[in-house]
Amino acid sequence: MSALFPELPAADPGTPDTRSPARYLLWLARHQRTLLTLNALCGVGWMVSQALLWAAVGGAIDHGVTHHNTEALFAWVGIVMALGLFQAVCGALRHQFAVTNWLTATFRTIQVIGQRVAGNGSALAEEVTSGDVVNTVAADAMRIGGAFDVLARFAGSIASWLVVSIILMSTSLQLGLVVLLGVPILATLTTPLMRPLHRAQAAQRDAAGRLAALGADTVAGLRVLRGVGGEEVFLENYRRQSQIVRRAGVRIAGPQAGLESGQVLLPAILTAIVTFLGAEDVQRGVLQPGQLVAFFGYATFLTTPLRTAVEYVISTTRAYVGAGRVLRVLDVAPLVRDAVDPLPWPDGPVTLRDPVSGVELRDGVFAALVTETPAEATSIADRLGRYVGEGDATTVNGVALARVALNDTRRHVIVSEVEPRLFSGDLRDELAPHGDVSDDQILGALASSSALDVLDALEEGLDSHVEERGRSFSGGQRQRLSLARALLSDAQILILIEPTSAVDTHTEARIAQRLRASRAGRATLIATTSPLLLESVDEVILVVNGVVIDRGRHDDLVARSAVYRQIVLREEG
Amino acid sequence: MQLPIATNLEVREYARRSVRRHARAFAVMLSLYGVASIASLVPAWVIGKITNFATAHQLTSTRVTDYVLILLASSVSYGVITYLARRRSYVLGETIFAELRENFLASVLALPLVEVERAGTGDLLSRTTNDVEALARTVRFALPEWLVAMVQALLTFVAMILVSPKASIMSVVSLPILFFSTRHYLRYAGPGYRRERMSYATLSGTVAETAEGARTIDAHRLSSRQHRRINDNVRESFYAEKYTLRMRVVWFPIVESAFALAVAATLAWCGWLAIHHQLSLGAATTVTLYVVQINDPLDRIISWLDELQVGQTSLARLVGVSTVRDDRPLEGPSPSNETITVRDVSYAYRSGHDVLRHVSLTVRPGERLAIVGPSGAGKSTLGRLLAGIDAPRDGSVRVGDVELASMPLGQLRSHVALVTQEHHVFIGSVRENLALARPSASDSELERALDAVDALEWVRALDQGLDTELGATGHPLTPAQAQQLALARLVLSNPHTLVLDEATALLDPRAARHLERSLSAVLAGRTVIAIAHRLHTAHDADRVCVVIDGEVAELGTHDELVARNGEYAALWRSWRNEKPATS
Repeated sequence: MSALFPELPAADPGTPDTRSPARYLLWLARHQRTLLTLNALCGVGWMVSQALLWAAVGGAIDHGVTHHNTEALFAWVGIVMALGLFQAVCGALRHQFAVTNWLTATFRTIQVIGQRVAGNGSALAEEVTSGDVVNTVAADAMRIGGAFDVLARFAGSIASWLVVSIILMSTSLQLGLVVLLGVPILATLTTPLMRPLHRAQAAQRDAAGRLAALGADTVAGLRVLRGVGGEEVFLENYRRQSQIVRRAGVRIAGPQAGLESGQVLLPAILTAIVTFLGAEDVQRGVLQPGQLVAFFGYATFLTTPLRTAVEYVISTTRAYVGAGRVLRVLDVAPLVRDAVDPLPWPDGPVTLRDPVSGVELRDGVFAALVTETPAEATSIADRLGRYVGEGDATTVNGVALARVALNDTRRHVIVSEVEPRLFSGDLRDELAPHGDVSDDQILGALASSSALDVLDALEEGLDSHVEERGRSFSGGQRQRLSLARALLSDAQILILIEPTSAVDTHTEARIAQRLRASRAGRATLIATTSPLLLESVDEVILVVNGVVIDRGRHDDLVARSAVYRQIVLREEG
Repeated sequence: MQLPIATNLEVREYARRSVRRHARAFAVMLSLYGVASIASLVPAWVIGKITNFATAHQLTSTRVTDYVLILLASSVSYGVITYLARRRSYVLGETIFAELRENFLASVLALPLVEVERAGTGDLLSRTTNDVEALARTVRFALPEWLVAMVQALLTFVAMILVSPKASIMSVVSLPILFFSTRHYLRYAGPGYRRERMSYATLSGTVAETAEGARTIDAHRLSSRQHRRINDNVRESFYAEKYTLRMRVVWFPIVESAFALAVAATLAWCGWLAIHHQLSLGAATTVTLYVVQINDPLDRIISWLDELQVGQTSLARLVGVSTVRDDRPLEGPSPSNETITVRDVSYAYRSGHDVLRHVSLTVRPGERLAIVGPSGAGKSTLGRLLAGIDAPRDGSVRVGDVELASMPLGQLRSHVALVTQEHHVFIGSVRENLALARPSASDSELERALDAVDALEWVRALDQGLDTELGATGHPLTPAQAQQLALARLVLSNPHTLVLDEATALLDPRAARHLERSLSAVLAGRTVIAIAHRLHTAHDADRVCVVIDGEVAELGTHDELVARNGEYAALWRSWRNEKPATS
């Protein structure tokens, strides 16, 4: 059984075919051919036995009741029961296969999306919002799986339709043809009913999305709102949008009811025709009453395959659209790539240089970067660490960084951005994600970043669970924990952007005192305008208009540079 | 701390009130469903009639035509009435659902300040989004489908009895099997589906934080770890799915077998009765067909049950919010003056852990007081007490002679306002974002407020000025701009006392100082209490209050404190030493 129902997720989801949505869906299908085939077989067994049940009921009436044959009656009843049990077993298997197919396709899609998001997120962020990415996982992947789920029932529907047609044809060619041709005609007639429904549903989804955003927005800003007032205005806005959603919902009501009544009305006409033709045959004596009951049964049963066919069309369309959105995520190219034959990171001391600004970093240096705007510091740091294409020109010991293996560069140069993120997980893992440091070292780093108080407040210490995005911590706490993480990385070159912007002066002073010791012997560049930090560094690099214009100790720069005083001491004019 | 969840009694009372409000619409809808169900019972009766005529050799062409026409007419009216009934029920569902969410939001917006501050946004946010969404499915689909199925099952059963009570006996053999297997299934499947939903929420959360934290992931080489975590989350979803799948793979065949048993038993019983001339063949046929027919609504009744369970849980969480009452009075005495007095105040979030201890402080009208101190010292808590959001555990915080925490909300806002570092830009125009503080404000008043916080320039530079859409879906603002908007709101609301808790922390230091200066020009004469982590704020203030470990350690003017050579002086010195050019 384990071969039939594989453990998910697969160890290796494979390389998706991203040429078109259809090819992507086919790529998924190829991985689960056996499952899909077995699913279809069970689907056929499940539906055909439902159809055959009516033949057995007819048999019981004709051979048992009308011939006053109790034995024959019970024999046919036995067949009814056996078909019922067979249907139940097939149904369970069908369901098991269907869910497995659904999960296999859904999870494979989530896996390939996950791979891209984890590996290529920076580039992704420039093209797709994180909300859209989450939607591909939460909605589109599910829709793709949904199409695989219906597939088997659709196969069963086609089989049972053919079986019913053949049975009818064997007694009456005319009746058989009515069903053989009638069902596809009805399916075609029902399909147009879906289009206005889908349009109305899409409109409501949009409106409801806006309403949900409005509700979430109000809650997120609730403190502000309750603090300064304006609740009435917000309630009014929400009510207005809520009524828009309601009206959009009312517009769905017509088409939705239409589709549902169409799905019963159209087959009812078929039932009437079959009953009429069958009853005429009974009147002529060609057909037994039990057979008429069976025919009536077939006709009412056909509602199920008909519904399934409509469902199949809906879910396949949705899967196709979903696959298109998934491909948008899969198609994003990374911002920087490895060279064809990458060089390893140089051994021994290094000099990292950004030719654009002229900023240079050597081993052992403990420096600060002062720029007019935080954005300027960020772009210099991005180039130094080669996070962006413009960083290709950065050199390490004179060699272009573009030629050095990216993974090596990342290991040796760490740029801690303005708002570093924390992730959910154990605090220990979040601080030392590569697991190569002792608890003492972690405590040391927390001491350096003055974050031991954060640890003290946690009941389980380093084993405490960090919530999603680290949201249970305040901004200042997150910043200090991120600083500890950066220090623990022990990178040869560490670039910190505004590492203390959210902490108070007392704490900042403590951090300034301890930072140098924890980075002894390695290169550190701190982008900051805080005098407390600037005073603690060996050298301050002053960048104006994107280029280095001065460098020296903090005191000297304060003494000699008016621009520096303006930026750092906030002197007016 | 979580917000309350309504009891079953409260939920039922709420549901009853909703139904009573729409009693007419419910009655019409149910009657239409009833008529439709009756129409759907005609075809099986027609088949029975035709079989009876056939066995009696009385079937004529006219009879065939007549009865098939009856069959067709009933089917057509079934289709048409179903259309009318469904449409009504969808419209009713939308109306009830709209009322539900609007009432919910109204109770969210009426939550007491203390609750809002304490509960955090997580719980409330998940109620606003997940629970409202879950109820959408219940109210729109589960509930109407379930009601229809109930009506159909009931009427089909009645029809069976009308045809022949004796013949119908066997139709109930499936009921005990359905009842016990479904009860067992619901008991164990409920937690399984909750686990499923949670696992998908975790998965979405991991994907979201991975997408948002892309840069950090890149910097710390976390990509394979995040990838592994996503896979782990998928595995958890898989196990959750596998559990519920196992439940269904057992339950489904039991249900289907029970249905088959009912059909087989009825067929055998009716056939036996017919063979022994105790029942006509037509009646036997009709009853058998009815048993087949009733299986469908029975199936729907039991399969919507777990969705209804989910809906009930969500409804309890929504109604729960409305059970929180604000104990602030609607009217109260006006304070005699504008002096804020803190007398011997202690405060604790957890009992036994006092965050503030015996704090006393008098803030004179028009004074600019800076509160400084290390993180965790209790500065923000003091700020919340000064703004009247919360009441102290011990001691009192008063404006004039009135306790701030028991002041009517509207009155409180006219006295004190609090702006924190936590900023929020609402979805809506710049104008709407500002006007919440004073809905009647004119454009020139808005512009004056923006000017006071140095924001007029960039607001004018926006595409549509004051009408530019902001917030999650509109023009993005930097944190600094958002903070300026928050301060502009404060200027508009115009209370005599302002509590600024790190209100300029997100601005770059140079801009912060400029803003504080232009703000103080506008706020001249007002009392400003600024909790600050930058010392220049303290330097510019009239008095500085140093809070350490929940106690007021030092209090006095900047010069006094520097002269005193304490904690504040030590900090200040590291600044002053670096300012040879300015001082």
